Amino acid sequence: MTTAELPVLAEVEWPRGTEPPAVPGFVVSSFSPLVAELARRCLTERHGGAPAPAEVGARTGVLLVTASGDAQSAAHVAYAVDTGARVGPLLFFQSVPNSVAGHVATRWGLGGPVLCVSPVGPDGEARATGLARARLLIDDGDADEVLVVCVEQAVEQAAEQAAEQAAGQQTGDGPTGSAFLVSRGESR
Amino acid sequence: MRDPAERAGITGMAAVSVLGRGAQAQLAGGLGGAAGFAPVRRFDVDRRRVRVAATLPDAGSLGDELAGVVREACEQAGLTPARRAATPLLLAVHGHPAAGRMSEKDSSVPTAAGFAAELATSTGLGGVAGVYTCACVSGSSAVADAAALMRLGQADRVVVAAGYLVEPDQFALFDAGRALATDGAARPFSAGRGGLLLGDAVSAVVLEAGARDPRAEVVGWGRAGDGYHTVRPDPGGAGLARAITAALRRAGVLPAEVGYVNANASGAEGDAAEAAALHRALGAAAATVPVSSTKSVHGHGLEGSGLLELIVTALAIQAGKLPVNAGYLGGDPACALDVIVGAPREAASPYALSLNAAFGGANTALLVRAAA
Repeated sequence: MTTAELPVLAEVEWPRGTEPPAVPGFVVSSFSPLVAELARRCLTERHGGAPAPAEVGARTGVLLVTASGDAQSAAHVAYAVDTGARVGPLLFFQSVPNSVAGHVATRWGLGGPVLCVSPVGPDGEARATGLARARLLIDDGDADEVLVVCVEQAVEQAAEQAAEQAAGQQTGDGPTGSAFLVSRGESR
Repeated sequence: MRDPAERAGITGMAAVSVLGRGAQAQLAGGLGGAAGFAPVRRFDVDRRRVRVAATLPDAGSLGDELAGVVREACEQAGLTPARRAATPLLLAVHGHPAAGRMSEKDSSVPTAAGFAAELATSTGLGGVAGVYTCACVSGSSAVADAAALMRLGQADRVVVAAGYLVEPDQFALFDAGRALATDGAARPFSAGRGGLLLGDAVSAVVLEAGARDPRAEVVGWGRAGDGYHTVRPDPGGAGLARAITAALRRAGVLPAEVGYVNANASGAEGDAAEAAALHRALGAAAATVPVSSTKSVHGHGLEGSGLLELIVTALAIQAGKLPVNAGYLGGDPACALDVIVGAPREAASPYALSLNAAFGGANTALLVRAAA
């Protein structure tokens, strides 16, 4: 797969150890709020504010790269199922990472492909995977720009976190993440 | 860029669902039109509002079932061990089956990529080139990427596998979200439809660029987003319509040449959005192209659905017989399509679309052509 550099139009890093602001409709986990906040910061750098200009937004894709996925939500659901606790309906809507990608696409008026993938390759590096997949979408013609959001949650103690959350305790280290926006630029 | 004549040929395919084991069992089930929904015995559903799904009684673990279909597809394609070792895997799954249940005692993190690497190793494939966790467009997105890699000359042969086996966590989530039909049937495009029902869907295909004797070819593909809502489809179907149009454009096929659509429709309210998309993309041809959703017989296989449905679609168009849309009670004016009910139809064209849509407004369209 070609990994030659694409023009990077905007780029943001999440300060480690901090929690993102909550997003209405998303509960239990920092995963989706962090995706939304990284996307907001990155796209604000590019467009100044939402939505993106229509002609650009229509051909901008959203690509989420994560090895852990939403580990906190997964652990919360597993704990509820295993203990016979109620599973809240909002958890259904955040049961896949696509949902927050759709939230971002809706807020910013993005009509390109929506994709969620895991990092692959020799070093499993999220940025390299994101660049390669974004390049494929652009070279193949389904997008002119791709917002790549890379997010990881600590999963080592996810089950324990779920139990602690059920007991009303604060849990876990903050998530990590970054986002960047790549463009077809003059490369074609 | 590769010669357009060197399309992504399907040289091997294998599948497992409630319809049985083997790709041909999927076509037979689709043509038979008998829905496979039954009370769930695999895990406890006493606390659930809905208690039925389409599960294969003797299904093994997801890892074992995926390994089985990958091996079968590779054998069908005649891949020697050396060729397998030079063939990468693209895998579509929700995540690692153990995700959510690890504890401090576990030494490694159960990731989807790790699960894919184990599958590639156990089946003798040459590593993992992609892992797709994008819900109900996972399998179809993997196929689109595979076809794109071949068109751009960046891959000669890949194995795409996708799998979901009905399990307690997703079942509980869909039940909590009141997404499941309460009357024991999935009724795509039908009046009185009340939701989807889940089903097992594990499958694999071998795709080869410019294969000399493919069983079918992926000649077009498209992916586009709605940008409309977090989870609900755009009622106007604009995103899915753009995906369909992109697939037709890549193949150089006109709307009137499409002979069958295996729709994404699951029996949910959002089926009307897909009907709108078909009218938007196909114009007048939308009223006459035969349409069915094979989810009506094998259920909704989530991350596994797109690939299973592609296999059914490819086999159907190859056989010249089009699957039935089961559970249909009558027409819904919001879904004004030529839905195949009662008995299979004869195919009038070698081209068929397999459509998928997911939370997040993600849409894919795959266009297959029957082998000459």
